[in-house]
Amino acid sequence: MLLLPLIERYRSLSIIGMCKNAGKTTVLNRIVEEFENTGKTLGLTSIGRDGESVDVVTRTHKPGIYVREGTLIATAMEMLKHCDVSREIVETTGFPTPLGEVVLLRARSDGNVQLAGPSITAQLAKLSGMFFSLGADVAIVDGALSRKTLCAPTVSEATVLCTGASYSRDINTVIEDTAFAATLLTLPEQRSFTDADRANMKGKAILRTAEGETVPLPEGMSLADALRSPAFDGVTGVYVSGAVTDALLKPVLMAGKRFNGLELSAEDGSKLLITRDTFDKLKLRGISLTAARSTKVAAITVNPFSAYGFDLDKDELLHRMREKVDVPVINVLDDVALSDLSWHEESKKAIEARRAEEEQNKNSSHCCQVE
Amino acid sequence: MSLNFAQQENIGFRYVVDALRCDSPYGDARVRRLRFYGSHEKEALLKDLRNVCAVMATLEEKSDRYGRIERLMMQLKDIRRSVERCREIALNEVELFELKRFLLQSELIAPVFAEINEAAKLQDIEILAQSEALKLLDLDGQHAATFFIPDVYSKTLRAARKEKRRVEEELRRAQGEKERAPLMAERAKLAAVEDDEERHIRAELSEGLRPFLDGILGCMDAIGMFDFTLARAKLARRCGGVVPELTEDVIEMEDMVNPRIAEALQERKRSFTPVSISMGKGATVITGANMGGKSVALKTIALNAYVLSAGILPFAKQAKLPLFDGVHIVSEDLENVDRGLSSFGAEIVRFNEVLDECGLSEKAKGQASGKHMLLLDEFARGTNPEEGAMIVKAVTRFLNRRDTFSVLTTHYDGVAEEAAAHYEVVGLRDMNTDKVKTEIDAARKEDGADVIAAHMNYGLYRVEKEQGCPRDALNICRLLSLEGEILHDIETLY
Repeated sequence: MLLLPLIERYRSLSIIGMCKNAGKTTVLNRIVEEFENTGKTLGLTSIGRDGESVDVVTRTHKPGIYVREGTLIATAMEMLKHCDVSREIVETTGFPTPLGEVVLLRARSDGNVQLAGPSITAQLAKLSGMFFSLGADVAIVDGALSRKTLCAPTVSEATVLCTGASYSRDINTVIEDTAFAATLLTLPEQRSFTDADRANMKGKAILRTAEGETVPLPEGMSLADALRSPAFDGVTGVYVSGAVTDALLKPVLMAGKRFNGLELSAEDGSKLLITRDTFDKLKLRGISLTAARSTKVAAITVNPFSAYGFDLDKDELLHRMREKVDVPVINVLDDVALSDLSWHEESKKAIEARRAEEEQNKNSSHCCQVE
Repeated sequence: MSLNFAQQENIGFRYVVDALRCDSPYGDARVRRLRFYGSHEKEALLKDLRNVCAVMATLEEKSDRYGRIERLMMQLKDIRRSVERCREIALNEVELFELKRFLLQSELIAPVFAEINEAAKLQDIEILAQSEALKLLDLDGQHAATFFIPDVYSKTLRAARKEKRRVEEELRRAQGEKERAPLMAERAKLAAVEDDEERHIRAELSEGLRPFLDGILGCMDAIGMFDFTLARAKLARRCGGVVPELTEDVIEMEDMVNPRIAEALQERKRSFTPVSISMGKGATVITGANMGGKSVALKTIALNAYVLSAGILPFAKQAKLPLFDGVHIVSEDLENVDRGLSSFGAEIVRFNEVLDECGLSEKAKGQASGKHMLLLDEFARGTNPEEGAMIVKAVTRFLNRRDTFSVLTTHYDGVAEEAAAHYEVVGLRDMNTDKVKTEIDAARKEDGADVIAAHMNYGLYRVEKEQGCPRDALNICRLLSLEGEILHDIETLY
């Protein structure tokens, strides 16, 4: 199954992973490959560092990013020596990273690149603009570990969510949590407040009263206090600027009150930092979650192989994921012949070797103590 | 320079510096590290100031050219460190890219500057296009704003890239990891050859650039100087500025302004009263009622003497003054009481230091040199009035006998007799009492004081012979209708 038909209508795309080794880079390589014959120019960057050939966290094999001639790449100065395309430097950005300033280059040949882009949302949005003005048709941002802010609509129109066996050994957890992440990203659009209400708001939150008035959350009052107070009886909508967290919502739930049809909205899905448990309880209490700007999840990809050595059944994973969400789901490795997965076996061996090494180190340190 | 940051802030100098808006990082660097002229550099200063005036005079006529050059300068990045590095080592590809960008920009800036300079005729500022150096880096002759070493540059490079491209094409057709792996390995080897050759070429280019580095740095310097000059001209157009006549023994300033205080007043819908003063060496004393603007006058004098030494036009209609090596201010509210001294003690310690710096103390005699201006704001105000008056009198007498310009503000009686010149804040002297009285009666009771403030004249006038204290306090009491019995009592006491 191809990714291209699912993503080609978007001008900007982000790839986010539920965890490390979810197959983000594999997805990115597939996108690059599938775009090859469309005549479209891609602009690639990442949030923070990505694209090392060996994973710096788990030390397992990671596929590199192999781009086509003409691709625009935004990466940090220090990464240039790991980009073996013929490089044309086209712009400097002034965005600093621990690996030096982010620079833009055009690949004048096919080849490997390593991405290390800015980690500030505003800078990423600016980079997309630079890509387009330099002639890119599509801007793609590769996400790093648990950087969900990346799917903020200001950065990309749509997201490919990557998940897989590396997230958990338990297939149920993988499926439930991924589906939940997708739900948060694709909440319905809020209807209680106008753009002007939100633009002019002061303080942390605004409320829509039973009389249809928009009022700010009184200073010194928590959201839970306000919702429990008789003064705000019958509130129909709440909009929170900034993060919506469990800590904010738990007191609301503890009140034991029912809120019939109360609409609770955040700026976008990336601002919702809540657990599935809280989400379910909100529903039970009659609170519906919405977002001012919704993100599109173009596809969910699954990777049945784990970097930690516990693989899941690929057909079961794909099948059950598809049942759970109404977003297209594909297996990132479905075109790859098993013989090509030699690296996967290798990385398993590498993990084993490292474990043995650690074990030995532990023992030898014991020896030292004994001596 | 002679004033520390707090003092510079206090007299409004930092405000002036912040108001200097440069467009290029080279101009910004000049603002951040201002050059202060010493009294022996009069000619250089005048040349600099004339350039500022020449730019100011052509701002209207050449406004579109100035707009264009500003936009071009805004795109520059400070890469002087790379240029310096190029003397020793080979630049990397990003540094070469940035250098090429600068050189391209120099070709755009130079002709616009030439057009401006035809009218402005600036002295010792010339922005030259760095075309020779650009030729070295413009490898394909396209004037492209990017940096890429084209295949034609070297045989080795061409061969390596051709071979690599062949492998890459095969890779595009390859199926499966088995076919791919050997091709990737081959490609990696060729990429290493390409990389090696590129590094070699970058070293060659860097070496070729070396003879041009001084010219490039000179160009950056000229852009910085022009940018700084333009910023000063725009400031002068906004706040007023005049080329002064540099004198030795006299100061004659007409309608001086202090932009910071002027802005603060404007926010409160009041306007700044320009300060005019003329004085010679020795001590000049400014007297006046409290809140009458003595300190404002003192700060304005200090600011205008100080900006001059930083190459900024004095904010005045006419200016005759010396170029000072040091402007020193002693003000109780600026002294650091952390030294465990009372504010009065700190003031005395600071005054001693200033005397040393100006070469006026016994200890520093013959050591310190140059021209200095010394400003004392309400010296010894923290002590009791009787003693304070005696101290200030003695200080004034001392300063009046010295070959230095000193200005003191005070409200102590009898000090002015010791000074060479005596100025007083006009205050309510020229006020039309009947008119103001009518206005006050028309206004709400609590607004009376504001009405008086609006009529207060903060200008200075020269007191030729002792006229006795101004009767402003009594006037105010009358205008604000102080209880009749008390008022009568005061009048009999006067």
